[in-house]
Amino acid sequence: MSSPAERSAGTIYEQVQASPEFRAFRGRLRRYVFPMTAIFLAWYLAYVGLASYAPEFMSIRVAGTITVGLLIGLAQFVSTFVITTLYVRFAERELDGPAAELRARVESGHQEVGA
Amino acid sequence: MSLTAIISLVAIVLVAVASAVIGSVVHRTRLTSDFLVASRSVPSRLNAGAISGEYLSAASFLGIAGLILVQGVDALWYAVGYTAGYLFLLLLVAAPLRRSGAYTVPDFTDARLASPPLRRVCTAVVILICWLYLLPQIQGAGLTLGIITGLPDWIGSAAAGVIVVATVALGGMRSVTFVQAFQYWFKLTALTVPVIIGLAVWFGDSHTFARDEPPEFREPTTVSVETPVTLEAPRSVDVTVRGTVDGQPVDGPVSWTAGSAHRVATGTELSFAAGEPVPVTSGAPTDDESWLRPFTGSEQHQLLATYSLILATFLGTMGLPHVLGRFYTNSDGRAARRSAVVVLAMLGSFYVLVTLMGVLSRVYTPQLLVTGRTDAAVLLLPTAILGSGLVGSLVAGLVAAGAWAAFLSTASGLLVSLASVVSTDVLPGKGGLARRFPVATVLAGLPPTVVALVPTGLNFAEAVVLVFAVAASTFCPLLVLGIWWRGLTDVGAIAGVVVGGVTSAGAVTAAISGLQAYLPVATGGWVEVLLYRPAIVSVPLAFLTMVAVSGITRTRRPADAGQVLLRLHAPERLGLMRDRLDDRG
Repeated sequence: MSSPAERSAGTIYEQVQASPEFRAFRGRLRRYVFPMTAIFLAWYLAYVGLASYAPEFMSIRVAGTITVGLLIGLAQFVSTFVITTLYVRFAERELDGPAAELRARVESGHQEVGA
Repeated sequence: MSLTAIISLVAIVLVAVASAVIGSVVHRTRLTSDFLVASRSVPSRLNAGAISGEYLSAASFLGIAGLILVQGVDALWYAVGYTAGYLFLLLLVAAPLRRSGAYTVPDFTDARLASPPLRRVCTAVVILICWLYLLPQIQGAGLTLGIITGLPDWIGSAAAGVIVVATVALGGMRSVTFVQAFQYWFKLTALTVPVIIGLAVWFGDSHTFARDEPPEFREPTTVSVETPVTLEAPRSVDVTVRGTVDGQPVDGPVSWTAGSAHRVATGTELSFAAGEPVPVTSGAPTDDESWLRPFTGSEQHQLLATYSLILATFLGTMGLPHVLGRFYTNSDGRAARRSAVVVLAMLGSFYVLVTLMGVLSRVYTPQLLVTGRTDAAVLLLPTAILGSGLVGSLVAGLVAAGAWAAFLSTASGLLVSLASVVSTDVLPGKGGLARRFPVATVLAGLPPTVVALVPTGLNFAEAVVLVFAVAASTFCPLLVLGIWWRGLTDVGAIAGVVVGGVTSAGAVTAAISGLQAYLPVATGGWVEVLLYRPAIVSVPLAFLTMVAVSGITRTRRPADAGQVLLRLHAPERLGLMRDRLDDRG
């Protein structure tokens, strides 16, 4: 990390931080990451709770040896993968794209100031 | 020595030599480790293979199948937790940590809070986590060698510890991306072959689990009990005993009635005729039908235990030193996200295979339910299915070598992380890193090797979950709050890490050493569950402590917290990171 002097007021960092685009961007990230973390945790915990409090539901036979509980259990692997893919797509669409635009705008502004 | 033993030994030696040689050759030609040179050039798919290869340890390779054999569908949570931990690492930590330029937690705290005392505390926790994590790896190597050759486990453990310490100290087996990726594919192959053969044989047998019956012995079986167990007989079972049962010496045939439980002492031999129902260690589901349903064993507070397990594995992954270091080899935050997706697919397919091994072992190696040494399931399955002829021996050799690959990759990854921390933060005096690293490796590697010689009787997957609990209670709050909350102070961070570390590691130590027997509270209750699974208490406690103490010491907030956080969260495309690197020249 650079020294505090490099980060003094008026640096490019502060300009970026103060820009409404960056604030919107940071807000988007937070509004996505924290609710999603909570929802994912709830999804996993709910499955376990269901197994404990609704055992009849979990032991309904689907076919032969396969019960509902076993299916949902194995679906945890799939759901983990699906959730991750969703997040990465969100990040590339909502974070990387706007970030590139923001950079272009900041840099052009920066150059105008410099020139 | 049997054919199986000879083939397996040769396969193990080949894997060990190959890892060491490839590692040191690539290492020599590159001169410096991946972390310094290749950090910006490893493709995300290759990197994902390396992450998976280093992550899949003896616990995953041997332990989970054993737990599936005993607990059935409940044990799926170990596999799901080990996988989903990456999801939370990805969501909360991966990209910002990559941008911080730090690849160990002590480095991250330096960048974020610049506090030498906090760095020392984090160094101590890294050492603790690595040591605890190394234990089941070294014991796994000992168990593998013991099962195939019949030698006492400690010989294999001692040999394994010495091999890993020596090769890491001499510069071989560094965290070379290529070797780790190779080991992932090797481990996957070592499971795929027996699973495909096993499934083919199983379908030919037309065996079903949808029945209200316990598993049964397929042929006359004699088992010797090596750690004391309590066995539950689900049906009445005839057994010939030589040894001590329920405190009485017995020599001859006895009949255990349905539903009875018996304490069997160490050194006792139990012989069963073919077709007899298999008694299981107490607490586990007894018949196949309930084995397929969640929460059917007789153990108490299983919901609490499972919630705590989920919390530990989901939040613990982000605190593991060898995992964090690997994410640094991604070129940027975006590549870190992409490789995390591939990692999840790779881990998922591996754990599905491990689960199938556990299912097959319930049919073909049910005697492990009696001894409780379920870690052996994966190793014994090939010869149980195929016999100990040439084909069976070859497959058994492949599996044994896979187990050693699992142990070698994780143990060397851990030891490299550990030795770099010890050489930079613990060892006093001058001298270049190149001279201090070998000394640090020996100092760091010997204690866990010595402790590993004493058997703990814990399943490997369970032992590893204890380490996850410590990581989730210390580094998880530190990283999450450090990355997402500008209010964190150095004092708050130290307090949280100490509180989380002491409660989780303390509980785990008490559980392993059997101290809970001296508790004033009746055992078997939730206290005992929490000692083995402390995460559900210790993780929230650590978070609360960190937030509360940071609030009290508000004045100590670093002045540059806003700027540091901005850098962590601004995507590379914003250009801040690149500009910074350009500034440095």
